[in-house]
Amino acid sequence: MVDLPVRILENKRINGKYYKLVFRSKRLAARVEPGQFLNLQIVPGTDPFLRRPFSYYRLEDERIEILYEVLGRGTALLAARAKGDGLRISGPFGRAFKKNLGKKKRILVAGGVGVPPLVFLSERYGCDYLLIGTKSREEVLPKRELAGVRGKILYATNDGSYGLKGYVTKLLENLIKNFPAKEIFIQTCGPGVMMQAVIDIARREGLEGEASVDKPMACAVGACLGCMVKTPSGWVPSCTEGPVFKFQDICERL
Amino acid sequence: MPPKVKTDLTTRIKDLVFRNPLTVASGTFGTKGEYAPFVDYSKLGAIITKTITVNPRAGNPMPRICEVTGGMLNAIGLQNKGLQDFLENKIPFFAGIPTPLIVNIAGETTEEFEALARALEPHKRVVRALEINLSCPNVEKGGAGFMRKRERILDVMKAVRSHTGLFIFAKLSPELGDVLEIGEDVVKAGAGGLSLINTLKGMAIDIEKRRPRIANLTGGLSGPAIKPVALRHVYEAKKALGVPVIASGGIMSAPDAIEFLIAGADLLAVGTANFVNPSATLDILAGIKDYGRRHGLENLDQLRGTLQVSPGHGDAGGGG
Ligand SMILES: Cc1cc2nc3c(=O)[nH]c(=O)nc-3n(C[C@H](O)[C@H](O)[C@H](O)COP(=O)(O)OP(=O)(O)OC[C@H]3O[C@@H](n4cnc5c(N)ncnc54)[C@H](O)[C@@H]3O)c2cc1C
Ligand SMILES: Cc1cc2nc3c(=O)[nH]c(=O)nc-3n(C[C@H](O)[C@H](O)[C@H](O)COP(=O)(O)O)c2cc1C
Ligand code: FES
Repeated sequence: MVDLPVRILENKRINGKYYKLVFRSKRLAARVEPGQFLNLQIVPGTDPFLRRPFSYYRLEDERIEILYEVLGRGTALLAARAKGDGLRISGPFGRAFKKNLGKKKRILVAGGVGVPPLVFLSERYGCDYLLIGTKSREEVLPKRELAGVRGKILYATNDGSYGLKGYVTKLLENLIKNFPAKEIFIQTCGPGVMMQAVIDIARREGLEGEASVDKPMACAVGACLGCMVKTPSGWVPSCTEGPVFKFQDICERL
Repeated sequence: MPPKVKTDLTTRIKDLVFRNPLTVASGTFGTKGEYAPFVDYSKLGAIITKTITVNPRAGNPMPRICEVTGGMLNAIGLQNKGLQDFLENKIPFFAGIPTPLIVNIAGETTEEFEALARALEPHKRVVRALEINLSCPNVEKGGAGFMRKRERILDVMKAVRSHTGLFIFAKLSPELGDVLEIGEDVVKAGAGGLSLINTLKGMAIDIEKRRPRIANLTGGLSGPAIKPVALRHVYEAKKALGVPVIASGGIMSAPDAIEFLIAGADLLAVGTANFVNPSATLDILAGIKDYGRRHGLENLDQLRGTLQVSPGHGDAGGGG
């Protein structure tokens, strides 16, 4: 874990939904696993006040890529930062997705801000299926961003303009019929309602899996106790005990 | 050019000696080594723990934190693993760190405060002082609400005093009532010093959902937004009571810290700033050293409580 100034190499819009931020840092790139995240100070000073957490999206040696959506003031200010500008970033934080699944099929279910860590996971360790849910065709990631995914990619769009019409969970329901329950391992990241729907399916069908939860964070090191998830052993910080949790360890509705 | 001196930052409170005035505010620095990747704990003047209660506390529902202009709200609800865990797991950890430890305690009853003071007493080699949290805005029992009654505060102070030989700081906030009046009372009842201030109770609303942004409805405001209020209370308490004061409230940078020293603070507790900049404590320390050098200070007592107030001013109220 380090806290360092970095310089922006690239920061631009890549489609109707995402922006990509690129910088270089040997120490922030050291020993990182998919699912881990960084805490980024968007503008020097105290406005916006807190840092914002972002998943690692892609690593090439010292080059780090983040994929982000503009959802509020902080991310809007981030989108306005230019090449050459400085940022302060700490990390890597948190527990990663399980990488070795033995003989199980790795099925990834992604949406929104949960797409980047799962693309990273599938590029590095491969997957059987990467299911991505989004609103429409304009939000589908460009081909070159998905070129490194080692697995089959299936899209669901709400308006049916690309891939299956409907929610990503419909893709999941269709897919799991093809395999015995004990051969499936699901890893999911995205909006709370989406992950909850995935967990509900997994519970019903007796499937194992993990979800990367998204809680408001301040410190990212387990000190403020602001980012808690309810587990069988009580409230635990998602920044240190997560953000990735086994389905059975999540005792709340996301 | 004035001679360049190296400022001696040593801070003394009665027989306690701190290598410098920098410490961390309760609840903002973890319970064990959370900040160790960023901060060498032995470089701090003191470490203040998160509030310890007799029994483990689960804490409040989520969401517990939200960002606001100039700071954040929190309603953590004093989540902690309780006294037994502290004695078994945390004391041995801090025993390995040369920095004096100040343990922050809170109870739901006078008896609980008493039990905590008694249990910590045998660990004087590690625990160098107590900070009595009389002012948490986020708990129903034992928080600022419960404590608002003057008699309760005095009972607690007397009980703690009679069960420990440790130096006691009473942590107050304006939520309790008149800080100076209460400060005077608790000092009479046995507090050696004050810790000023705790968070100020506030609210934030999600206008799309028309829901509170903190599940508990209200939370404690911390950060730069409360600094002027904290500075005023530190200044007034030092002036009126003259007892040692731990200052907390929006100390984000060296200039902030220096303002509190000029107002008279003895120790400077860096709180929310740790979240924004994990090495805030050491950055502030470096800034104080630099200021000392620039101003030719031999020690910090040449700075503490040196606010220049024009005659006839300074006793006035506030507001225009
Ligand atoms: C471990 C972790 C990893 C993350 N990885 C990524 C990532 O790789 N890419 C990315 O784009 N984002 C990621 N996020 C989410 C990102 O941190 C938030 O989108 C960001 O903090 C929003 O800041 P803001 O100031 O723009 O929005 P705010 O002003 O804080 O919020 C504005 C609006 O956005 C919504 N919002 C706020 N936070 C979130 C959130 N966390 N998730 C969904 N909606 C939110 C709010 O409900 C509100 O309507 C991650 C979050 C966590 C906890
Ligand atoms: C997340 C959080 C948790 C806190 N927990 C405690 C606590 O357990 N006990 C306590 O006495 N004060 C607690 N405080 C108050 C701080 O110690 C400090 O007095 C206050 O935040 C003002 O300082 P700051 O503006 O520098 O943060 C907490 C503050 C925050 C932000
Ligand atoms: S963000 Fe502070 S404990 Fe997780």
